[in-house]
Amino acid sequence: MSLQVMVVEDDREIRSLLQSSLSVEGFAVQTAVSLSEAYALLKHKPPDLIVLDLGLPDGDGLQLVRELRKQHSTPVIVVSARHQEAQKIELLDAGADDYLTKPFSVDELLARMRVALRHRGTSLAAAVTTHNLEDLRVDLAAHLVERDGEALHLTPTEFKLLARLVRSAGRVVTHRQMLADVWGPEFTEHTHYLRLYMAQLRAKIERDPTEPRRLLTETGVGYRLADA
Amino acid sequence: MVHDSRVQEQGAHSLRGWLAVALLLATATLCGALLDPFVTLTSQAMLYVLVVVIAAYRLDWVQSALCAVGAVTALNFFFVPPRWTFDVESQEHFIALVVMLVVALVISHLAASLRRESRHAALNEQRARQLQALASSLAFASAPQEIVALGQHALDAAFDGPNSLLLKNETDSSLSDVDLPDGVRDGLRCCMVECAVLGPGTGRWPGLNAWYLPLGDKGHVLGAARVWPALAEDSDGREHAQALCSLLAQTLWRARLAASMHAAQIEAQRQQLQSTFLAAVSHDLRTPLAAIVGAASSLQTQREKLSPSEQDRLLGSIASEASYLSTVTENTLQLVRLTSLQKELKRDWESLEEIVGAVLARVRQRDTARRIKSRVPPGLPLLKADPVMLAQLIGNLLDNALKYSEGEIDLIVNAFPQALVISVKDRGPGIAPAEQDLIFEPYRRSDQSGQRGAGLGLALCRAIAIAHGGSLTVRRRGGGGSCFIATLPLQEPQPERELA
Repeated sequence: MSLQVMVVEDDREIRSLLQSSLSVEGFAVQTAVSLSEAYALLKHKPPDLIVLDLGLPDGDGLQLVRELRKQHSTPVIVVSARHQEAQKIELLDAGADDYLTKPFSVDELLARMRVALRHRGTSLAAAVTTHNLEDLRVDLAAHLVERDGEALHLTPTEFKLLARLVRSAGRVVTHRQMLADVWGPEFTEHTHYLRLYMAQLRAKIERDPTEPRRLLTETGVGYRLADA
Repeated sequence: MVHDSRVQEQGAHSLRGWLAVALLLATATLCGALLDPFVTLTSQAMLYVLVVVIAAYRLDWVQSALCAVGAVTALNFFFVPPRWTFDVESQEHFIALVVMLVVALVISHLAASLRRESRHAALNEQRARQLQALASSLAFASAPQEIVALGQHALDAAFDGPNSLLLKNETDSSLSDVDLPDGVRDGLRCCMVECAVLGPGTGRWPGLNAWYLPLGDKGHVLGAARVWPALAEDSDGREHAQALCSLLAQTLWRARLAASMHAAQIEAQRQQLQSTFLAAVSHDLRTPLAAIVGAASSLQTQREKLSPSEQDRLLGSIASEASYLSTVTENTLQLVRLTSLQKELKRDWESLEEIVGAVLARVRQRDTARRIKSRVPPGLPLLKADPVMLAQLIGNLLDNALKYSEGEIDLIVNAFPQALVISVKDRGPGIAPAEQDLIFEPYRRSDQSGQRGAGLGLALCRAIAIAHGGSLTVRRRGGGGSCFIATLPLQEPQPERELA
């Protein structure tokens, strides 16, 4: 059975573009033009993945994500325009899985969907504890980080940061989420901690820390660990 | 009301005065009688002089004069021989009595004028204080109503009232609509027309029972005030009222100038934005749109006649023109947001290394030959900045360099104690010194070569640098090419760098 994708988008052109390009890739696509329609479809049967546009005519996607997260772990990918930055981050913090900024290519969307679906599969089974990409190997259970087969020494905080990114490899983790998970919920405004520790981590993990290939920066949003 | 209570107070005051006189005389007499066996008449007389001096100092002149007369009479009656009569035995005693009377009157007069002067000084000081307090509270007022309220309050504090303070309507120069007796309204209007103080002691309309004062100078009268009570001889009071009014007028005038200047600024900015938008549509949006429509319609109608490689080229052109269009749109919107005052930077502690890394990751897609060489030193201090804006600044500079030059491009970050400096150096045709300021103006692009740039790109870059308290300049490089230098000031204090 093919995977069900729900596209919530009020612009007709983009909706039909997404519908046709996702169908070609073998997804069964449902579309909704408003939040109320999306709610109705969700009640009937939740899909395997939701592509949610910001700026819908009848309200805020935040409510939908909060409502959804009470019962389901269905991946949600937020599609936003530049001026909706703040709203987008709010959604990510509320439990949306990833985001795309308009204009985006179909390639990018498909890549994000693949990552989101893979995580859903694993989150139902066991949590991600290992990460392998090119010369980098991370094993959280064994507390092991290797580059080119050589063990790297990370401080406890650096390790916690990396572990948080490994568990969401390929997906964006917002500043707020990282600060809350590594330092604690009372530190969510201390962005400078993140900047300083991430710089240390980049210096240890990246070959060229000024042009990172693994610890990617999502400017103004958070970080993403590159995934295969 | 104020006057009634003052009259009552005065009545009470004089009653208490008379009691004091009686008490003083009784005390002196009692002391004199008690000391009679031990002292001479001279000392008894001194006791009476003492109470006369006290009375003259504390009480008004009628009471002190009567106290003196009483003292002389009592001395005469009780102590001057022959005692218990009003007869005076010798001439010497008679002279002593007359001198005592004169002393009492002189002291009373001196004390009264001293009291008057000190009351006067206290009043003047109080008025000076009031002016100062009003000036400092007006410094924070900007709305006319607020200024009028403060002014009304000051007038009421300084004068018994009822006082009125009204502003002239800007449109028809009538007074703001408040219920006033016709006489008052006429007085106010007249003093605004004549632009002079009317009322007692001014030589104009001395028959009025109040002062009418204009707010402002000739040609700039903003309103008028009425102050009651007004006495012709109270020139200090009138001067105080005038000082209050001129202070209010200055503040009103300042507020009005500030408001009109603000309005003019907003209007100029609005027009600037409008022309920026128009220029964006005509310069930078039409051309890529034409290319997209051309390529798409060609694919629509002539697909069979086109070779696969030509079809690919057209598709590629649609994609690249569209992405150019999206950059231009983004730059235009961002510039409008930045310059329209409402946009607040979303500042946070940011690492320039990170931002450069993210920009390079994006720009490298167009820099397949890896012409950009970056040099970012480790351990840079953090910047309190809007990361999306900074990324746009660096990205635009790199995009321009890629577009206008062929050779290698250097992206260099240097740290100084006060600032971080980002330099982007290319080996393109360079920019003539005369053009070096024009390229940062929206749509003053120098090249006529037909090559398109992000017309607003550099204008936006400079706006972003300025919004961060920094600057963006360009200079020619020795050996050809341009060097763009963005300077971003560092904020003190840096967050603590202690790391585990």
